[in-house]
Amino acid sequence: MKIGTYIQSALVVTAAALLLSGAAGAQEPGLSKDSIKIGLFGPMSGKALAYGEDPLNAAKMWYDRINKQGGIWGRKIELVQEDDRCAANDVVAAVKKLVEQDKVFMLNGGSCSTATVAAQEYVLRNKVPFVMLNASGDSALYPPTDYIFGAISISQRAVGGTMIDFATRSLKVKKLGYLNHDDAYGAWNLEAAQFMAKEQGATLIVESVNPDITDITAPILKLKASGAEALLVTAYARPATLAIKKAHELGWKTPIVIAVNGIANLVQMVENVGTKEAFKNLYIQELLADVPGGPKLQWVYDMYKTAYPELAKTPDHPSPYMPYGLASAMVVTHALNLAGPQPTREGVAWVLRNLKFESGVMAGPIEFGDNDRAGQESAIFLKFEGEKGVLQPGVYSNKWKYKG
Amino acid sequence: MTWELFLLFFQQSLMSGLVTGSIYALLALAMVMIFNTTDVPNFGQGEIFMVASYIALVLLVFASVPYLVMIPLTLAAVFFGGAIFQRLVLKRVALARGASVNLVIATLGLSYFLKGVMRQTGIAEVPRSFPALFPTDSVSIGMATATVQDFAILGLALAAMAAFFLFFHFTRTGRAMRAVGMNPRAAILVGVDIERMRWLVWGLSSAIAALAGILISPKLLMTADMGIVVILGFAAAIVGGFTSLPGAVVGGFVIGIVENMVGLFVSSKAIVVAPFLAIMLVLLLRPQGLLGGKATAKKV
Repeated sequence: MKIGTYIQSALVVTAAALLLSGAAGAQEPGLSKDSIKIGLFGPMSGKALAYGEDPLNAAKMWYDRINKQGGIWGRKIELVQEDDRCAANDVVAAVKKLVEQDKVFMLNGGSCSTATVAAQEYVLRNKVPFVMLNASGDSALYPPTDYIFGAISISQRAVGGTMIDFATRSLKVKKLGYLNHDDAYGAWNLEAAQFMAKEQGATLIVESVNPDITDITAPILKLKASGAEALLVTAYARPATLAIKKAHELGWKTPIVIAVNGIANLVQMVENVGTKEAFKNLYIQELLADVPGGPKLQWVYDMYKTAYPELAKTPDHPSPYMPYGLASAMVVTHALNLAGPQPTREGVAWVLRNLKFESGVMAGPIEFGDNDRAGQESAIFLKFEGEKGVLQPGVYSNKWKYKG
Repeated sequence: MTWELFLLFFQQSLMSGLVTGSIYALLALAMVMIFNTTDVPNFGQGEIFMVASYIALVLLVFASVPYLVMIPLTLAAVFFGGAIFQRLVLKRVALARGASVNLVIATLGLSYFLKGVMRQTGIAEVPRSFPALFPTDSVSIGMATATVQDFAILGLALAAMAAFFLFFHFTRTGRAMRAVGMNPRAAILVGVDIERMRWLVWGLSSAIAALAGILISPKLLMTADMGIVVILGFAAAIVGGFTSLPGAVVGGFVIGIVENMVGLFVSSKAIVVAPFLAIMLVLLLRPQGLLGGKATAKKV
């Protein structure tokens, strides 16, 4: 989308939001003359800490930056932070505390989809605008609601859709082996993958496995025997690693494409597979505007080093998910900016429903719409031979749309 | 399905089933040993297997201990861990003269404790593995493919099972353990130190689980939840006959092969339910298990 189109849509959104703001006279929760309270939550402890620690850090550094620049319409952002431990009960408890006790204006949080969507009913009942942090949260996005916005990193549907777009357009293959989970996650990405395969005239051969599978021989051998020209894997790191290993053991030399779900720690993945030979023809999905740490994203990583100098020196920091938190916080500040000097929850929710902007962080634009609450639906792909990712030309998009 | 494809799937099912089945067999063997001597199913067996794998990882990767030193160190650590748990926890629970369900709850507690401790260490945050002792080059037998490492897993697991068979049949301690399993009162009357046998069995059973962990960890990936594989060990024990040591071995191989056959000939989605279907079939057709002997009412 061209810059002019963005400016045009931003003006329309601002004008409408100002109208909505004017209509609402009463004082909104969390809003004072000098500050606006935002409830930020994610896993700050527990086994899922790695999913949320750095996205939360990134969101905080963005809000700090906005505050240093004078805030939004003269108001400083006041963060109230809660730990949700990536557990459904804790998410609901955190959200209730933030809304009822801390009286935040809006919510920004959630790193684990299954846990985050547990807040759906409460958020909708209380009509609080809620922008997810780095959870995709497909089940809270489809069917769309008025107050919940997510998939700032990517939706599971878009994971599947973009994988097919890449395989058919870049690898130029039409018979695709597809390994996904046999759970809701797998069903979501498969739904868009099947749509895209039909669109691109490709054949999809699907094997769905339990995420805890111990012996992956059967599905990989079946896909190999089917004559699939590429293996697309949308499973988590563990089954994805087992799939790479097994394909290598079976002497299957077809291109393998691993979705973002499975690449949390590439160094560890290579160690776990045990040989770089298995990575000779492997591609990974990435959701950022550039290779992590690449020139387009250098400012993000520099900002992190400045904000967290000690943490940045520790292993595994920043995590690959770090920039997603930044993009999520950008959604919040963009919406607040466009909502005008007297924002209301209704006004901000309306702005969010019509928001479109280029974050400069993610692969594609962040764009919601009348029937769409998933922010980001594009991906880039890197060829990864076991050491460094080499960016492949093009940005790949999901064309599946909710039709409910 | 063409005949050629059928043959490929059939041969690969047997090959892969024997390899993974050997691990299930070891876990089933460990569980049956404890059940035979204490009448308690050990629900912590999977977590003992998990912790042993992480001990091996720490020694091998983080402490750079050579493989041949790591193996006895891990086995010894886990042996003593199991024995200490029996002496410190199970013995006291048994002395409290509570219902035997308390002992089962104690093993469940062990399971949660070990999993919780492992999560706290942070080492289990990402799936890990450690380098295999044997090459991972592929070898073809007929139409099936396996790695040298797979053959090593199968060979070592079979050797361990044979060693335990010899131990139980031809050593004084092994016979005493079997005697405790058959009739504890009679064993006491002929002078068997039943308490010693019980902690020895716990130690040995834990060491077998550790061996399974050391063998399979370079092939599978370690997580704090990897102990879930013990369900397949339970399935193997039930299929083989919960009181039969050879039955546990046969059950392990049956479950491994059935998993692969169902995955290849039916559906990958059905792999997880295959062991339970095997259990149901065995319970329907031969309730005492494949090698469990005739079902009899226990005398009190």
